[in-house]
Amino acid sequence: MTTYIIRRLGLSVLVLWGAVTIVFVAIRLAPGDPAQIMLGPSATTQEVQALRTRLGLDQPAPVQYARYLLQVGRLDLGQSLRLNQPALEAIFERVPQTARLAAMALVVAVALSFPMGIAAALRSGSLVDRSISIVSLFGQSTPNFWLGIMLILVFARGLQILPSGGADTWQHLVMPGITLALPLVGILTRLIRSGLLDVLREDYIRTARAKGLAARTIMIRHALLNMLIPVVTVLGLQLGILLGGTVIVESVFAWPGVGRLLVEAIGNRDYPLVQAAILVITTSFVFINLLVDLSYGYLDPRIRLQ
Amino acid sequence: MNTTRRQLLVRVGMLGGVGLLAAACAPSPAAPTAAPAAQPTPPPAKPAATTAPAATTAPAAKPAATAAATTAPAAAATTAPKPAARVPAGELKVALPAKIVALDPHGAQSVEEVLHTSIQHVMETLVKRDPSNNNIVPGLATEWKTPDPMTWTFTLRNGVKYHDGSALTSADVKAVVQRVIDAKGPVAPLFAQVDTVNTPNDSTVEIKTKVPVGTLLASMTLLPMAPASKVNEQGFFNKPIGTGPFKVVSWSPDADLRLEANTEYWGGAPGLKNLTFRFYPEVAPMITALETGEVDFTWRLSPDQLPVLKGNSNIKIETVPGYTYFFVWMNSSREPFTDKRVRQAMAYALDVDKMLNDLLPGVAKRGTAPIASTVFGHAPQTPYTYDPAKAKQLLADAGIRDGFDAGVIWNPGSGPQDRELIQAMISYWNAIGVRIKSQEMERAVWIDNLVKLNWDLDFQTNATTTGDADFTLGRLYHSRANRNGHKNPDLDKLLDDAVATVDQNRRKELYAQANKIIWDDAAGIFPFELLNVYAYRTRVSGFVPSASPVLSFTPVTVS
Repeated sequence: MTTYIIRRLGLSVLVLWGAVTIVFVAIRLAPGDPAQIMLGPSATTQEVQALRTRLGLDQPAPVQYARYLLQVGRLDLGQSLRLNQPALEAIFERVPQTARLAAMALVVAVALSFPMGIAAALRSGSLVDRSISIVSLFGQSTPNFWLGIMLILVFARGLQILPSGGADTWQHLVMPGITLALPLVGILTRLIRSGLLDVLREDYIRTARAKGLAARTIMIRHALLNMLIPVVTVLGLQLGILLGGTVIVESVFAWPGVGRLLVEAIGNRDYPLVQAAILVITTSFVFINLLVDLSYGYLDPRIRLQ
Repeated sequence: MNTTRRQLLVRVGMLGGVGLLAAACAPSPAAPTAAPAAQPTPPPAKPAATTAPAATTAPAAKPAATAAATTAPAAAATTAPKPAARVPAGELKVALPAKIVALDPHGAQSVEEVLHTSIQHVMETLVKRDPSNNNIVPGLATEWKTPDPMTWTFTLRNGVKYHDGSALTSADVKAVVQRVIDAKGPVAPLFAQVDTVNTPNDSTVEIKTKVPVGTLLASMTLLPMAPASKVNEQGFFNKPIGTGPFKVVSWSPDADLRLEANTEYWGGAPGLKNLTFRFYPEVAPMITALETGEVDFTWRLSPDQLPVLKGNSNIKIETVPGYTYFFVWMNSSREPFTDKRVRQAMAYALDVDKMLNDLLPGVAKRGTAPIASTVFGHAPQTPYTYDPAKAKQLLADAGIRDGFDAGVIWNPGSGPQDRELIQAMISYWNAIGVRIKSQEMERAVWIDNLVKLNWDLDFQTNATTTGDADFTLGRLYHSRANRNGHKNPDLDKLLDDAVATVDQNRRKELYAQANKIIWDDAAGIFPFELLNVYAYRTRVSGFVPSASPVLSFTPVTVS
């Protein structure tokens, strides 16, 4: 187990290095100079040049890259060009907000998809099953920015029972949370339904029923737990997509999180901030998936023995 | 064995679920949990012993000050008695059209309108603009002189204190000017010719320039003052202090900027107890928030949003001419725009009045010069009429028989209805045989192409942030700037002379000539000036709309 963890950690570092390098190159390939953008179109060339020197942007790219890698090694992710504060600090100020939003979305997704998935599996082929399929298809295919704006129009503008922007109270969390959760609800519901249908066909379920166990006991002790592995895997992967979805949802709902920060940083060509944000997000994603992989050992002893 | 494992899993699952719920339902880290503490009752009005402040805010002695004080007193009332103390009450919530990135007005954000609008309630400038007529009036300085063309002497107001009780002195002005120059932000070039700042005594500042700088006074409207001992400290601008009518309660990037009344303010306590600024990245939620009362004040709206608001009896809409204008530049260093006749043809091809009425009703007026009419140095020019026949004739004179192809670069979001305006103009140009392709690009790419002169036509808005023609004409139309390929040595001389004299009347004459050259040469087409559109709830009184995009909420009260 320990060698497994060490090997996985080593691979994770490789993945992170790859992500940082790709972003470093990609953001610099995009046309646009951060100093010029900060000073605006009316600045003179001398002013722009002075700012570039001050920000260290006039060094050749390989030099900047080497410097950056050394910095990251010291856990210093640089200073945001536009915000004039350490990039990591800027990101961590907003992580709690994005985490709140993601957590809410996960709670909503799990709370909705499990009952729906189970109901659909148990009444497979019926009207209930088909309606639930439609709902999950809707959730997976609706563009989140459209859904967000529709919710604002109905609940904030029309019925006036929920606030339209900002992040102060729990009411602010409702609409963004639902918007972010819906695609995940779609995917999870279908996965739970099909996973459960597979498991329910297994011999040991028939044995349990023959033994005379109550339906509820069968469901919880035998069926659900055995189909959790694919669900947990998907949840881990979906977390990455959830984090990506926060970018749009945060913009629509004026939610002060990391996603919005990243979008603005890219628009401003704020190199250190973009690199730092991608690094933080990639690290979270890699770490969560590492946890998911480790949890297989707990969920299924057969895997642990390998 | 199986049972133990499952029990473990169930417990882990429950813990995880509880953890998620706790994380989701935890109060927001950024929101303050209690309303700001009640203000102590303000002290009675102090007797007017010292040179009491000129009330550049409307003389609202009564708490229930009413609307639009166009009678803002003129500069010289230095002995007016201090307005009777009023009790600040209520909260005003302002929606910002752009985000406040940092509270530091001296550095990289120094020309951001939203920053100046909010921060000038906390930190004040030596001089400011009277909203009703755009003239420069006293702020922290009560008078100023130019004993010789390269010296500006400011006399500071007596008795002004910062929020921490320390007194305003000339050393602060010196420190701030130096700071702006060192920060090398967009405002620094305005002070590039400053040689030394002397402080003969605590209430006198002497700024000496290397050459005469006619724009210095206008530039001082963008320089908020802070204590010399603290302004360069790390972290000062996370919660800055100043001399203004409001103090900072809290702010962090992406959270609201919350201000509360400074009851010790030299000009008398403001009418509002709390002033909050919040950024809405999307227009729809912002308008919704205005309609539901979540915010009280919005600005920079576009024409299509007005009809919805006009029908709402709780919302008032005001428009005044501003500093911002739309324009089309033609790259005079590229064929066929090297020929003045071609450029003029492009101008005659547009039906400006029709575009104004159909696309920008109520939010713009016809442009009459290369800068907006409220800017110092503006001089109205003869309009280019809508004359497609003349346009075709000019093209023929220039030797163009079958029209030509070109592109127009622009960045969505530069101004209201920009997409619709581009489409309209393209069809007008098409009618004279000029086939223009729309080249829409994101802001960073657009700026990149613009400064590299990698374009045929450019469509954008611009604002003359200082309210002085030099900021636009001097910086963008001089040959050394080479912003649009247009070079004219006579124009250069006019622009250089206009900035190098402190005689404001002479400057006006010079700019009048400069305006004419740019207009007649058709270096660009300047069809529209944007009006500043303000929409706010009727509970808000006392707001004076200004041409300058730096708004003031100090005279405002809410009911």
